[in-house]
Amino acid sequence: MQKTHPASPHAHCAPVDPDRELIHVDCASHTYPDGSVGIHNMCFRVLKNEIVAICGPNGSGKSTLIEHLNGLLIPSEGEIWIRGKSIARVERGDLWKEVGVVFQRSEDQLFAPTVLDDVMFGPLNLGLSKEDAHEAALEALTSVGAEDLINKLPNYLSGGQKRLVSIAGILAMKPPVIAMDEPTSDLDPVHCAMTEALITALKERFHISVVIATHDLDLAARIADRVCLVKNGAVYAEGTPREVFYNTTLIEEAGLILPSTVMTWLDYCRETGTEPVEQPITRQELVSLLRRGIPGQGR
Amino acid sequence: MSSSMISDHIPDIDLITSCAERQDSVFSRASPWTKGILLVLIVLLITISSDIRVLAVLYALILAACYVAGLPVKKIVAWYTMPVIFVISLVGIMAWTQPGIPVIAIPLPGFILTLTDQGIFMVGILLLKALIVVTYSLFFLMTTKYAQFSALISRVFPSPLDQIFLLAYRFLFLTMAMAAAMLKAVRSRGGGVIRSIRMQGHLFGEVFGHVFIRSFEQAERVEKAMTSRGYNGTYTASTTLRKPHPAEYAVMGIAALAVMAAFILTPHAGGW
Repeated sequence: MQKTHPASPHAHCAPVDPDRELIHVDCASHTYPDGSVGIHNMCFRVLKNEIVAICGPNGSGKSTLIEHLNGLLIPSEGEIWIRGKSIARVERGDLWKEVGVVFQRSEDQLFAPTVLDDVMFGPLNLGLSKEDAHEAALEALTSVGAEDLINKLPNYLSGGQKRLVSIAGILAMKPPVIAMDEPTSDLDPVHCAMTEALITALKERFHISVVIATHDLDLAARIADRVCLVKNGAVYAEGTPREVFYNTTLIEEAGLILPSTVMTWLDYCRETGTEPVEQPITRQELVSLLRRGIPGQGR
Repeated sequence: MSSSMISDHIPDIDLITSCAERQDSVFSRASPWTKGILLVLIVLLITISSDIRVLAVLYALILAACYVAGLPVKKIVAWYTMPVIFVISLVGIMAWTQPGIPVIAIPLPGFILTLTDQGIFMVGILLLKALIVVTYSLFFLMTTKYAQFSALISRVFPSPLDQIFLLAYRFLFLTMAMAAAMLKAVRSRGGGVIRSIRMQGHLFGEVFGHVFIRSFEQAERVEKAMTSRGYNGTYTASTTLRKPHPAEYAVMGIAALAVMAAFILTPHAGGW
């Protein structure tokens, strides 16, 4: 696990593995027009075919980072690399082709008269013909299981359906990276599970790297390959979910609460005097551990 | 059936859209071109003719079409409040200046204020004309799916008017929903619309001020989401417009002939 200190002076971080790194952001600072600092000393990368979770409390800079990935925001000071190649400021306007963003509020993303129009919007902007854009939209809607919504008006969709259509709108553009801001916020448990399965499918079926910004550490524990803890606009620490979530001090310092599985397991170990040698990260792992017997159980 | 969040006398955009999307009458299957051209012909006809019989028949036909289409006619009539207020506020004063047989005479210091039969007739005719256009426009909106409507706008209106119309749709819904949420919050704590306007005018000013501010914020977020998908300032509706059926051409032809006949037969074209 790698730990950085936000207060330390910014050390520029060039891509270390250009073959695997799809996007690399080295943002010394991003300051909003009102003077507030959104990001500082941020070094963030997205690797091929991975799910990376950006975890942090409200206001820690998760959404600002996501907007940098898509080119909606440009670092006041810093550099962006695509597949190991530094891109000039003028080319940053094309970042949207590399990283699709699913916004936290689907309400903000859906604007067209019908679902089909909305999903076709991105492909048309990519320069596809109407027929090809239509086909891409159909394919994307089918992939997310929302093909029956094709002629519906976005206004009359449920929250879960809106989220699926938002994802389809990005999937239709076939970007190598999809960034999702709080993908399961405001969803019921069924739609949460659907969205979660969809995120996993994006990686496994479509080989798309997915970045999720979330403060739901249980979600991150279940699906992420890598976790980046964000605090005060900087990556505070990063590693596998197991490395990060079993470092209780780190989680506390980042202003977060442990995932429920980890918390349950650590509470159990504390109460039974068991040494937490094994580190279950998901509920299934915990159940499996309890079923086969806990090694090192004392008292 | 839904009711408007503010009043039953204000057109409910949700109900209008819901009718347009769920309806499957012969009128909703007709091409938007046909309905649009008929709207133009109706406007021409009421501009040419002030014959009350022609206007009454036209109004009755439109109401009958609404009924046949299964539209909520009572609701549509309730929505007349705004156009009626609009017409009366415009021509109410003019009615007192028309020559004719006095019906009401109010003596005032220095002169007598007289309302004549011609004055009343003029208000009636103009009201009827306004209601014909309002009812047909609602009929058009309530029998045309929004995708078709937006495609029509995209073809007919020049840029940037088409962009404004196309993007205003969802924004309008969001703004209405926002206003509804705020009004619910006011009502949930004992505020009523009428009572609150009287007693808590400043509160309503704040609510509407907030709606505007939040609308700007919402617009910024929507624009950001569009930019993230490569929006470059132009949005085109991608729905294919339904072409008119041969029978629809016949209807348009008959309507055009009726307008020409009205033009030829009307003794004084123009006027009210």
